[in-house]
Amino acid sequence: MKQRALNQCMKVSGDPYGYLKEWKGNNNKKIISCFAMNIPEEIIHAAGLLPVIAWRSNESVSIGHSHVASFNCGLTRSFIDDVLKEKLNFLDGVVINRMCLQAQGIPFILEQNTKWANIIYMSLPALYGSDCIRDFFKSELDRLIIAMEKCSGNKITTGKIVNSIEIYNHNRKLLSDIYEIRRKNIGIISAREMLSIVHSSMIMPKEENNKLLLEVIEELNLKVAEGNHKSGIPVVIYGSLCQTPHPELLDLIENTGMVVVDDDIFIGSRYFVNSLDISDDPIESMANRYLSHIPPCPTKGDYKSNWSTYISDIMNKNKAKAVITLMIRYCPPHMCAYPDDQINFEKKGIPEIMLEVEHEIISLEQVRTRLQSFVETIGGI
Amino acid sequence: MLYFAGIDIGSLCTKSLILNEDDAIIGTSIKRSGAAYRGAGEDALNAALKDANLKSEDLNYIISTGYGRSRIPIADEQITEITCHARGSSFIFPEARAVIDIGGQDSKVIEINSKGRVLKFVMNDKCAAGTGRFLEVMAGSLDIDLEQMSELAKQSKKEVQISSMCTVFAESEVISLFAGGTEKAEIASGIYRAIARRVTGLASHIVSGKKVTMTGGVAKSKGMVWALSKKLKTELLVADDPQIIGALGAALIAKTKFNNL
Amino acid sequence: MSEYKLNRLETTKLIGNIVDKHWASLRHAKENGEKVAWCSGPVFAFPYAMDMKCHFMAGYSAYAGGRGAAQQLLEIAEEDGELIDACSYHKLHMGMAAAMRKNIPVRKDVILPLPDLLISGRLCPEMSHYAEGLYRKMGVRVTGVDVPPPHQKSEIKYFEKYVERQIRESLIPALEEVCGKPFNYDRLTEILIVLKETAMLRNECWEYLKLKPSPWTLWDYGVSIAPVFYLMGSPEAVPYYKKLKAELADRAAKKIAALEPEKSRVYWDGWLPWAFLGKFSRIMCKLGMVPLVGRYPWEFFPHPETIDTEGDPVASFVKQVYSNGGQAKDNMPSLNLPVIQNWVEDYKIDGLIMFSSKSCRMWNLGHNDFIAAIERQNGIPGVVIEGDMVDTRMNSFAQIETRLEALAEMIEARKE
Repeated sequence: MKQRALNQCMKVSGDPYGYLKEWKGNNNKKIISCFAMNIPEEIIHAAGLLPVIAWRSNESVSIGHSHVASFNCGLTRSFIDDVLKEKLNFLDGVVINRMCLQAQGIPFILEQNTKWANIIYMSLPALYGSDCIRDFFKSELDRLIIAMEKCSGNKITTGKIVNSIEIYNHNRKLLSDIYEIRRKNIGIISAREMLSIVHSSMIMPKEENNKLLLEVIEELNLKVAEGNHKSGIPVVIYGSLCQTPHPELLDLIENTGMVVVDDDIFIGSRYFVNSLDISDDPIESMANRYLSHIPPCPTKGDYKSNWSTYISDIMNKNKAKAVITLMIRYCPPHMCAYPDDQINFEKKGIPEIMLEVEHEIISLEQVRTRLQSFVETIGGI
Repeated sequence: MLYFAGIDIGSLCTKSLILNEDDAIIGTSIKRSGAAYRGAGEDALNAALKDANLKSEDLNYIISTGYGRSRIPIADEQITEITCHARGSSFIFPEARAVIDIGGQDSKVIEINSKGRVLKFVMNDKCAAGTGRFLEVMAGSLDIDLEQMSELAKQSKKEVQISSMCTVFAESEVISLFAGGTEKAEIASGIYRAIARRVTGLASHIVSGKKVTMTGGVAKSKGMVWALSKKLKTELLVADDPQIIGALGAALIAKTKFNNL
Repeated sequence: MSEYKLNRLETTKLIGNIVDKHWASLRHAKENGEKVAWCSGPVFAFPYAMDMKCHFMAGYSAYAGGRGAAQQLLEIAEEDGELIDACSYHKLHMGMAAAMRKNIPVRKDVILPLPDLLISGRLCPEMSHYAEGLYRKMGVRVTGVDVPPPHQKSEIKYFEKYVERQIRESLIPALEEVCGKPFNYDRLTEILIVLKETAMLRNECWEYLKLKPSPWTLWDYGVSIAPVFYLMGSPEAVPYYKKLKAELADRAAKKIAALEPEKSRVYWDGWLPWAFLGKFSRIMCKLGMVPLVGRYPWEFFPHPETIDTEGDPVASFVKQVYSNGGQAKDNMPSLNLPVIQNWVEDYKIDGLIMFSSKSCRMWNLGHNDFIAAIERQNGIPGVVIEGDMVDTRMNSFAQIETRLEALAEMIEARKE
C-alpha cells in the first residue's frame, strides 16, 4: 500500500528537531515555540513567523533534573531539559500561556538559562463569560500582536490575520476530514498514526502541512477501497493535555483487543475542533473560539460545561463501547477535574479506565495487564 | 476424567494448580519465580502435576496468568490475574463481592458479581507501598523475617506512624525510628498500618458494605490481614492458601473455556 | 539535651483563641441566619463587607492542618476518588465535602457549612478547582475572579484594572444577589481602615526580625498572619499586634533572642508547612537555625499598609494587591529575585531553605535557579527540601533533617 504522506507525518513527528532545523536552513524565518495549549497561533503566523507547538521529547530528563523537580509534568521537565541541552537553539522565542502553575514558572527558568530575546508570557483569562473577560482576552491578543511585530519586524494587519485564519481553518478542516474517514472506516488508521498526523500539523508550516494532509486523505481513500481493517472493541481516548501520550501506549491499547475510533486529546481532536469565523474582526473571532466552552478544559474555571458529558457525546457519535482516560501524571488541572468525570462515567454505565502517562515509561507490562483485564471485564470473561 | 491447569507467574512466586472436571483441586505447587519466568512456569506446573500424580499429556486445557503469563508456550490461553483472582475467590467464597489482592509488585481491588465476574477494578502499580515487596524490604530493614514481623506487630503497644509512601524513604524512616529508640514491635505494626492505609485509599469505595476476601501472598501474613481488617472495619475472608487463588481461577476458567470449545 | 534554647513568645499564645473564634462563628453562621461564603484568592474583604461569614481556602487548610485533621480529610478525599498527587488544599476541601455528603464522622471543628456563594479567586489556576468540584458535586453557586500574576512591571496597572473591573461587574453583583441588599461600601472602608492599622503595626514588628539576634521568628509571624489576612477588620487584630510589638520591643531592649544562641539566620521559600511547624522548628532549633523571612508571608499577601482609606475602597483594595506589592512582586519569580536578594542583605541571611511542595507547584519551579542566582550575588548557600504543607505522607523527615544538617554545615564552612 502506498503511504508516502503518512510516512512523512511519522517522520516529522518522530524527529521534530531534525525537521525544523532543516526547514530553518532552507527558509530564512524565525521559529516561535508555543507552550502549549490555546496559544493563538494565527497571530504568530500573520507576523511571518513559524509557530510550532512545544513537545515532550523521547529522551529521559537529565540536566533538567537540577531545575525542575520530578513531580512536575513530562512536558515541563522535558522542555526545560531540552533547552538546557541546547537542543532548542533553533528557536527564536517562546510564547507561554498561563494555563497552570508550571507554565507560570517556566519563563523564569528560561530567562536564567537562555539568551532568547523573545520570552512572551500571556495571561489569557482562565474564566468564561463576562464582557470584562472578553475585553481582557482581546487586549492580551493585542499585546501578542505587538510582541510578534517586534520579533519579526513585520506589521501585522487585519488582512494578514484573516489570511492566516483561512490557512489554519483549512488545516482544521483537513484534520477533521481524516477523523471522519476513520469514523466511517474503523481501524483504517492506527492511533499511533493519527497522533503523528496531528503532531505533524503542530510542527510543520500549515501551508505545507495542508498539502501533505490532502495526500494523506488520498492515501486513506485508496485504503478504504482495499478494506480489511483492524477490528476490536471501539473506544474513545481522552485527556493527555498539552503533550503527546507515548505511541507505545496507544499501540498497547490497540493490541489488547480495542480500536481507537475518536479522541479528545490535545494532540488529537482538541487541537482542531472549532474553526474560526472569517470576519472583518479576526480578534473577535478568536475570542469566540477561545471563550466557547468546547472542548471543555480543566485549565479554565468552567462552571457550565461538563467534560464527561462532552466525551459521552463523542462516544455516541462513534458508537464507542468504552473510554480510556489518559492522565498526564502531575497535570494538576486534570488531576483535580478527573474524579467527577470518573463518577459520571460510572453513573452512565460507561466502562472507563484511567492510564497515567509519565514522561519516563515505567512499566508497560503493568499497563498491559490493566488493559487486558479491562477488555476481559467489558468482554465478560 | 478431564483435567485443567492454571499457572500464575507472579513477580515473586509462581503458583500452579490442577483441577479435575468435578472441580476438585488435586495438585498445587508454589515456587520462587526467579529471573527466568519460562522455566519457573514449567517447573511449577510439573510440581503440581507430580502432586496430582498426572502427566502433562493428561491436561485438557491450560491457562496462564500473572506478569509472566505471556511467556508460557505450553499454555492454551492467557488471562490476566485480575479476572483469575475474581473467579478463584468466588469459587472459595461464593458470598464475596470484592477481592483485595496484594501481590509482590502491585495491589488490586476487584468488585465481582455472584458469578465471580469482574465488575470493576482498581490497581496500584506505580508505587511499592501496598505491595509484598514493600513488606519484604521493611522486614529486611528490621532484620527479621515476615513471620517474625507478624508476631512482633501483635505485641505493639503504641502506634507509630510510618508516613512515607516511597519504599526508599520509608526505609530511611524506619531506620531513623529504630535508631531513635522506637521498639521493633511498634515499627512493625506501623508498617502494616501504612500499607493498610494505602490499600484502603484504593479500596474503600469498592469494598464498602460488601463481603471481602483477601488473596495473594501477602494475605498469608496475619499482621497484614489484621491491620487491613481494622482499617476497613470489616472481617476479611481468607482462604487456607490465599496465594494459590489466581492459579485456581485460571484453572476454573480453563475448564469453562474447554467446555465452550 | 539541645544546646539551643527556644524562647516562646507570650503574645502568640493568644492567637489560637482568636482563630478558633473565627472558625466557630463560621460553623454557627447558619444557625444565626447569616450567609456564608467560601473564598480563594485575596478577595474575602467583599463578603465581609456584606456581613457574610467567610472561609478562606488556604486559611482553612492551614487551620485543619494545624489541628491535625488533615490526614483524615485527605484520606476521605482519596477514598472518594481524588488523586494522590493533586493539590492537598484542594483535596482537604473535597475531603470535607465528602465527609458531609457521606456522613463520615470527623472532628466537628473542621467541618464548615456549605456556602451560599463560592468565590473562586483564580490566583492559582489549580486551587480554584475545589470550587468547580463543589459546584459539580453539590450545586453550590460559584463566581470567579481571575487574578493573574504579572510577569513584567508593565503589566501591573493593566492587570489591576482587569481585576477591579471583575470585582465591580461580577463579584459585587453576585454578592448583592445572594444577600438581597446593596453592596456596603462604607463597611468595606471600615474593614480596610482596621486592616491598614494592623498592617502598619505588623510592619513595625517585621523590623525586629532584622535584629541580630532576632527576638522572634518567621514561624511566630506565620501563626500571627490571620489578623492581617483572613481576620481582616476583626476587633482583635489591632490589640494583638500592639501586644506583639510591645513584647518584641521589650525583648529587644533586654536582648532576648528567639533562639539562644542564634547560630544561623535562614530564608524560607514556599508555603509554610502548616501541619508540621513544630516538627520543623525542632529540627531547626537543634541546628541553631532561625527562619526569618520568606516570599510567601511577605509578598504573596497584599500590602494593606498602602491602602488609601480616603479613596475608593474597591480601587484601593486592588491596588494593594498589584501596584503596591503583593502579587506583583511575588508570584512571578522573575520579579521576585531582586526582592529576595535585598532581603538577604536586610535580614542578614546566612542560608536559603527552598521548601518545594510536592502537591503544589506554585513556587518550586526555579528553586535551584534561585539558589544559584542568589549564591552568585550574595555568596550564601541554599538547599531544596521536598515535602507538603499538610500531607504527612509526602514529608520524609529523615531526608529533610539530613538536608538541613547539610545546609548548617555549608553555612559553617562559609563562615570559616
